[in-house]
Amino acid sequence: MSKAGHDRVADLLGKVADAASRVPREDRRNFLKRGLALAGAAVAGPAMAAGDESFLPPNIPPWTRSLGRGVVTVPYGMPSAHEADVIRRTVPWLTASNISSISFTPLPELFGIITPNGLVFERYHAGVPEIDPAEHRLMIHGMVDRPIVLTMEDLMRFPSVSVIRFIECPANGGMEWRGAQMEALQFTHGMLSCCEWTGVPLSVLLEEVGVKRGASWVLAEGADGAAMTRSIPMEKALDDSLVVYAQNGEALRPEQGYPVRLLNPGWEGNTSVKWLRRLEVGDQPWYQREETSKYTDLMPDGRARKFTFVQETNSVITFPCPERPFTTPGRYEIQGLAWSGRGRIRRVDVSLDGGVNWQEARLKGLVLPKALTRFSFMWDWDGSPALLQSRSMDETGYVQPTLTQLRAVRGVESIYHKNAIHTWRLDQTGGVTNVQID
Amino acid sequence: MYRSTRGLPVAVAAAAVLFIAGRFVPALAGDTGGAPEGPTIGPEVPAVEISLAYRPELDPGRAGYYGFGTTATPEMIAGWDIDVRPDGTGLPEGSGSVEEGEPLYEEQCAACHGFFGEGEGRWPKLAGGYGTLTEARPEKTIGSYWPYASTVWDYVHRAMPFFEPQSLTDDEVYAIVAYLLYLNDIVGDDFVLTRDNLAGIEMPHRDGFFVDPRPDVQNVACMKDCKDPDSIKITWDSTDLGVTPTEFFKGDEEEGETATAADPNLGLNVYQQACATCHKGGLAGAPIVGDRDQWRTRLAQGMDVLVEHAVNGYQGSAGYMPPKGGQIQLTDEEVAAAVRYMTASASE
Repeated sequence: MSKAGHDRVADLLGKVADAASRVPREDRRNFLKRGLALAGAAVAGPAMAAGDESFLPPNIPPWTRSLGRGVVTVPYGMPSAHEADVIRRTVPWLTASNISSISFTPLPELFGIITPNGLVFERYHAGVPEIDPAEHRLMIHGMVDRPIVLTMEDLMRFPSVSVIRFIECPANGGMEWRGAQMEALQFTHGMLSCCEWTGVPLSVLLEEVGVKRGASWVLAEGADGAAMTRSIPMEKALDDSLVVYAQNGEALRPEQGYPVRLLNPGWEGNTSVKWLRRLEVGDQPWYQREETSKYTDLMPDGRARKFTFVQETNSVITFPCPERPFTTPGRYEIQGLAWSGRGRIRRVDVSLDGGVNWQEARLKGLVLPKALTRFSFMWDWDGSPALLQSRSMDETGYVQPTLTQLRAVRGVESIYHKNAIHTWRLDQTGGVTNVQID
Repeated sequence: MYRSTRGLPVAVAAAAVLFIAGRFVPALAGDTGGAPEGPTIGPEVPAVEISLAYRPELDPGRAGYYGFGTTATPEMIAGWDIDVRPDGTGLPEGSGSVEEGEPLYEEQCAACHGFFGEGEGRWPKLAGGYGTLTEARPEKTIGSYWPYASTVWDYVHRAMPFFEPQSLTDDEVYAIVAYLLYLNDIVGDDFVLTRDNLAGIEMPHRDGFFVDPRPDVQNVACMKDCKDPDSIKITWDSTDLGVTPTEFFKGDEEEGETATAADPNLGLNVYQQACATCHKGGLAGAPIVGDRDQWRTRLAQGMDVLVEHAVNGYQGSAGYMPPKGGQIQLTDEEVAAAVRYMTASASE
């Protein structure tokens, strides 16, 4: 670099230092104090202080008169520290150990239909294995002409597809068959997420190995400590099942099955076996633990439904909700999510009076099959108490049922697949409570 | 029924033709923000998104369409193909008796599942529960609920014991399964389980399952005066029970469970992830955190010994400490931090 070049750089650096030093001392002290409060808030939760008036118009806040951090200070970007409360949470008493447990997506804080990767709900039976993709293999064998073993590199050479699909645990809402006990939307409906998934159609892989005549089921097995397994009917495997290695544009997160998982769109989440290591083709189901002891639906007569795969249409209002109440009377956009494992959402209706009268909501943005669909309903709230409900209808014409209707057929001990119309009680202060009505 | 694999490319091609024929809605396909007013999305509208994998022509001279990957040899398959079906397919050679199973069960299983299969805490109950499936709080055990004995063998073999899956020998699995069947009054105390007799065991609830009949309820989309407003009763209020962690949005409670998610204390985090399962309640003879008496003799050995035992595993008189609590991905330093956390809270 020439001397003139050096001088220009030195001059520039001098100006930078000068600019930083010109931030008024009082501002810097405030800034520091706020920074500390922030750091504390990240640990302690919602204790953020209200804004400092000196930062508000007509004053110029210090971040406008100073420099922020440079590129790759945080090589993998993280949310603002002010979003520290937007995290997955669990209900500790639900399970014996956090190794075989579930966490919930913070639905109240999400926008649009895509769940950010760090907020996708977690469910595993033996913790999250740490797998080096170079050492991972996917074996496809059984009733096939050419049993193969694929490296991740092999798998990624196949032409890929990307689709936006929800994934939901069939136990979502299952704590509320007998009555309402979860005081937050995150816990009533948060075993639910929606991502763009990228991978290879399972049908392509099955064509590659050549399925023998008479084959009708595929066993999917994970590489985790539970060696989690489910039997998948061949009809589904050849329809829209995918072997995916990416979500929302990046490699799967470890807790979502890195480096590769199965994805059975619209079906109960546990069939989308994570850390997929093996696919075996056979002519009958295997009746594994997770399709007999668990994930079967006990009926009042003591018999149980098996292979209850599909997640039927469901919906919930996400604003207002217990975590995000109304404040003052006025105009609000009621928002919510609807979804169906049988295809697209055709329509969502909203009731403000506990289901006496219904009005059609507006569907927002993308309306995709087996994906979360956002709905919207403008309302001038006058401050009166209300019972808010949403009711979805999917493209098959199936209408989301009431809990009374479900209980009449299934009783209250079936744990899974509760897709009933949900009721929020809005009180005069704008507060929202999870209730059940009859 | 599924289509033949040879027929698949044809079916896919047909779908693509439908797409090309223009039966999609261009406005929707191109406008991701387009919010249709009202119920414009009906069953007659085909897929907005078309995302099909490219499929080359089948070349009879090639292995598969692409030829990616390597052949799975019989030896490779044998090592990984561990599933067992109700007809016994997949069972290896071997056998085990109820008598052999008892000490194995008590050593490997009872800490969580109880000496009689009754289940400790929220760990699964394995035995009994007969006659409860039609009652409130049904007990779904191996005896009362599981339809096939093969599932027990398969699951114990693939996923148990919880802390060291796939560590049991085939004969040990046969013995433990025999003992589980005995605890459920399905076999006698002199029973010997083998590859040949397992599929013949008739589980009490084997006929208790039927295929999903949904949709099983039919709601209608009534819009006006759908019920009498005066008839509406609030039957449940979620705040009555007070069992939900709510501190993250209700400011009036002490910070609780959620605070730990961002807790900077490594030892605490590792403890919760890897150690609390046993050391919180004392499963498998584990010294309970905070119980000074239980830790005193152990602390007397010195921190280095405790850390060494935690890292590499240890068989003591009270019970077995698996290496790193079964979570071998933890670094030695993380385990040491957890040991320091547990011992510090014991000496407070």
